[in-house]
Amino acid sequence: MKRKLCALFLGFGLLMAAQQVHATLGETADSVTTDRKAISAVRGATTVHTGYTVQEIVSDAVTVREYISPSGVVFGIAWNGLSSPDLTLLLGFYSGEYRKALQQTPRMRGRRFSQIKTDHIVVEKWGHMRNLRGRAYVPSLIPQGVTVDEIK
Amino acid sequence: MKSSKRALLFLILVLAAGCGSGGSSTPSVTGGNEAPASNVLPITVNGSLCSPSTSAFYLNKPCVSITICNPGTSTCQTINDILLDTGSFGLRIFKSVLSSDISLTQVASGSGSLAECAQFGGFSEWGPVQLAGVALAGEPTVTVPIQVIDPTFANISTSSTSTICPGADQGPVSAGFSGILGVGVLSQDCGSDCVTNSNIGIYYSCNGSTCSGTKVGLSSQVQNPVAFLPSDNNGVIVELPSVPSNGSPSVNGILVLGIGTKTNNVPSGVTTYNTDIFGEIITILTGTTYSSIIDSGSNGLFFTPPSTGLLPNCASNPTWFCPSSATTLSAENEGASGSPSGEVFFQIGNFDILTSSSNMVFSNIGGSSPPGLFDWGLPFYFGRNIFVGIQNTSSSLGTGPYFAY
Repeated sequence: MKRKLCALFLGFGLLMAAQQVHATLGETADSVTTDRKAISAVRGATTVHTGYTVQEIVSDAVTVREYISPSGVVFGIAWNGLSSPDLTLLLGFYSGEYRKALQQTPRMRGRRFSQIKTDHIVVEKWGHMRNLRGRAYVPSLIPQGVTVDEIK
Repeated sequence: MKSSKRALLFLILVLAAGCGSGGSSTPSVTGGNEAPASNVLPITVNGSLCSPSTSAFYLNKPCVSITICNPGTSTCQTINDILLDTGSFGLRIFKSVLSSDISLTQVASGSGSLAECAQFGGFSEWGPVQLAGVALAGEPTVTVPIQVIDPTFANISTSSTSTICPGADQGPVSAGFSGILGVGVLSQDCGSDCVTNSNIGIYYSCNGSTCSGTKVGLSSQVQNPVAFLPSDNNGVIVELPSVPSNGSPSVNGILVLGIGTKTNNVPSGVTTYNTDIFGEIITILTGTTYSSIIDSGSNGLFFTPPSTGLLPNCASNPTWFCPSSATTLSAENEGASGSPSGEVFFQIGNFDILTSSSNMVFSNIGGSSPPGLFDWGLPFYFGRNIFVGIQNTSSSLGTGPYFAY
């Protein structure tokens, strides 16, 4: 039922302009509806690729792209903008282990890049002041035939 | 010995010009033991201006010295170990390195104090925005909003569990610098989006220990101090010498303030690459197109290799490249609009082999980065004079924002 709802939601996604939307890593795409109050964002474009769909959401600070598998699960998110989005929200279930790993990962000096690996997810931040970039993904949820570098 | 004498002379000049009442001397820069010209800051890459306590294992670290003063007074402090960063905008100094004489003026935000989470890609800095007198080389002291980096400000936790600025740098030793001098192509660290929106996640108004997002006018944002100078304010030139292919323990260079404003900063024979609104140009490497930055604050050449196997990661240092032999590549840099374009030859050596010596400065080290961005870090600067033109200013090279070399 959830899956069906989700497909329906994605199908009509483009029509639902100016909504506050948000989905969570590792959860089904209908976390868009349950969490939409969490961040001030509006729905952007939805694009269909081989093996996944990308749903864009746009806030004043940052554009977030959510990578959704054919079964309706968010397997990756990527962003770019003036600041990093609140990962507590976007990482959902994984935010606890992310924070723990963040605390334990040494700072790389001279780099505008950080990589945090937990048991289940990878979070990378790069870019520079005025145009920060980042991505987070669940390696075990990436659909077959899709490469990590498509999440960008 | 020579360089410490020069540094001492420089310090005296800065103190005299920045904190005294006179300070209009303009000696020429002809090397030797003479003091640098009023618009010249010495740069040491892993040299005497870098603090040993923050620099261990930190390759390609360009350091300058700046002087900050209590606004409108001659109470000043000269601070070394400031990272020269053409990839950001504005001056930031750790509170922990300020002497007890320094008392800057807090910038207000409504009924609260303005604070900032400045973000740099892989790291971030938290702390209040304060007005400081800033003296660069022998230039007149200018009053500019700077960030005082203080992870405890407003008692917010910047630990990894915080929702504001999680993971912000905790001090100079872990960050690798005492401060950052952002002299890139833009004037402010946020710009117009922070003027109209309170929810950008950069600026906060703090009352006691409660901080909430706030709008900030351009003039209160932390900004590139070069743009504030009475003259020499249209950009900078970073001049660093070539480095031998097996590296060097340290190198010295200069940061020249202004472009075409004095006899020592007249451009000739360089190509201007205008950037977009983010400070990015375009780089094409073997058919792959990247957005790119020319960033003195990055200590290597960082990009996604255009084909797998070309530049393997090191086994023990997987964020660096370890090709079995030095690999020469040719890329094309383009202005953000697609022109002009110019070829760049560069070399990537084996990081593990190169760094097995005690050398700290290398023109040929690089590492992999996620897709999309080509980061021409400090190695690109060696053996080149790089002109950094500030937005909405002009020179014979054109109107900023641009890089030229």
